[in-house]
Amino acid sequence: MKRTLRGFALILLGAICSHLLMAETDAASLFKSKCVMCHGEDGSGNTPSGKVLKAKDLRSEETQKKSDAEITEVITKGRNKMPAFAQKLKPEQIQQLVAYVRQLPKK
Amino acid sequence: MQGTDTRFSLPTSSIKLLLPKLLVAVSVAILCAQAAYAVPSYSRQTGLSCASCHYAPPELNAFGRKFKLEGYTFATKPEVSDDKKGHNAALHLLEVFPLSVIFDTSFTSTKAPQPATQNGNFQFPQDASLFLAGAWGEHVGSFLQVTYDSQADHFTWDNTDIRYANTNGKFLDKSLTYGVTLNNNPTVEDLWNSTPAWGFPFVSSNVAPGPSAGAIINGTLAQDVAGVGGYAMWNDHLYLAGTIYRSEHIGGSQPNPGTGFGFNIRGLAPYWRLAWQTSSENNNLEIGTYGMHMKSSPGAITGLEDGYTDWAVDFQLDHTIPQWKNDVVSIRGTYIRENSSLRASFGGGAAAVVGHHLNTAQANVEYHFGTRVSATAGYFDVTGTADPLLFASAPVSGSANGSPQSNGYLLNLSWWPQQNIDLAFQYTGYLRFNGAGTNYDGAGRAANGNNSVYLLARFVF
Repeated sequence: MKRTLRGFALILLGAICSHLLMAETDAASLFKSKCVMCHGEDGSGNTPSGKVLKAKDLRSEETQKKSDAEITEVITKGRNKMPAFAQKLKPEQIQQLVAYVRQLPKK
Repeated sequence: MQGTDTRFSLPTSSIKLLLPKLLVAVSVAILCAQAAYAVPSYSRQTGLSCASCHYAPPELNAFGRKFKLEGYTFATKPEVSDDKKGHNAALHLLEVFPLSVIFDTSFTSTKAPQPATQNGNFQFPQDASLFLAGAWGEHVGSFLQVTYDSQADHFTWDNTDIRYANTNGKFLDKSLTYGVTLNNNPTVEDLWNSTPAWGFPFVSSNVAPGPSAGAIINGTLAQDVAGVGGYAMWNDHLYLAGTIYRSEHIGGSQPNPGTGFGFNIRGLAPYWRLAWQTSSENNNLEIGTYGMHMKSSPGAITGLEDGYTDWAVDFQLDHTIPQWKNDVVSIRGTYIRENSSLRASFGGGAAAVVGHHLNTAQANVEYHFGTRVSATAGYFDVTGTADPLLFASAPVSGSANGSPQSNGYLLNLSWWPQQNIDLAFQYTGYLRFNGAGTNYDGAGRAANGNNSVYLLARFVF
């Protein structure tokens, strides 16, 4: 039993260390932590939770033809089932996300 | 196999006296363990309505499963934060303390009164729960429940799942979310409503008699163990989880002497879970398997052991009907096979044979009329090895023929005038109860005498 407990402690330690070593400062990590849950890594919305909440395809013409100000407003104030991020993200972080969304069709 | 508290160190006569009371206690424990909740502090944290995560609380939709998988940490509301810089640690604290309350009041009536008791039973409250449920940090969150039980007249520790989650993993170039869970109930970490901790019925009476036999993974160990485990979801399809448990008797002395408790895990009890899910625009399907192995000494921590191994399969299908205003039909089922070797119970005179098995089958279908009304019909069936000592004769809770066989149906209608208020009507009907349809307990009680009407008003805020 002691060996098993030691094994679990090592796994726990490894998981925490691997997390601490990761830097999460760029737009990609921001997108991953706030948007991927519904929109998916590719922005398609083709995820189980995206289908439930009818998440938009961020690569689509419908989304991409919106102005930066319109996308900023959606992220800031929310729309339909999408929550507002005004209280969570700083304005510069929202601008980073807008720029990231613009890059999605090219990925 | 649940149904006994075989106090190995006690004389057989004492065991027989205690058995009926313990059967009732275990039955109540099962019913209480199946009470399951949705928590408003998650709503306050995410800025999303209850319906974003639930078809009807506590049933998780795909978004709710993702939220749980990611450690209850997704948030859109303000926090006190400090970025990680150089050798300084970061800070992410919710500004709103993640506290929630559930208040349940209920009425229960059985077809035949329980001897020497008044039928038609109001409970005000049935129970009330406090939850610490939300993000503790960027990657750590909790579902932590403390419940006041009006029958016991005290607060007690209830379902708990504290988890660390990391969503940044990759495996074979596909997404990998993984984490660690600390919990006190096998299957409480699970993401679907086809496994015991979060399975149907989602609300239930703690007054009406329940069948005495149940598998160890089916609520018997709920809040009586402590476990640490890991889990992973790969490519949004494959879910794998494992936890190791030790006994942790709430209210018992520490270190655990084992005395007075029916199940004392010897060594470690492993739990495993493997599930595969897929989704299309209008369907979410899950099929899986789970199980547990435990060696236990009843009433002791040394001496002979009882061994239990549970193997189970489950499935869940949620189908959205666009033509009918996106109403959702959910179909769920599970089958549990328990094999047990009750050497300690046999040696202590609480079991007539060593080798036992118990089969548990449950299935239900639910129609969600939007988020306003849900109607559910379920069927359950328990069969297993007959044992006149393990399932002894006793009024109401016992079995005259020693058989654990019970089957019946459950009908539930829930009306949600608001997403955080549940007004439920539930009818439970028994075709067999503890081995027979008539005179099942040797005292003249019929199985359908335990048929019950249960009315519940639940307020969640």
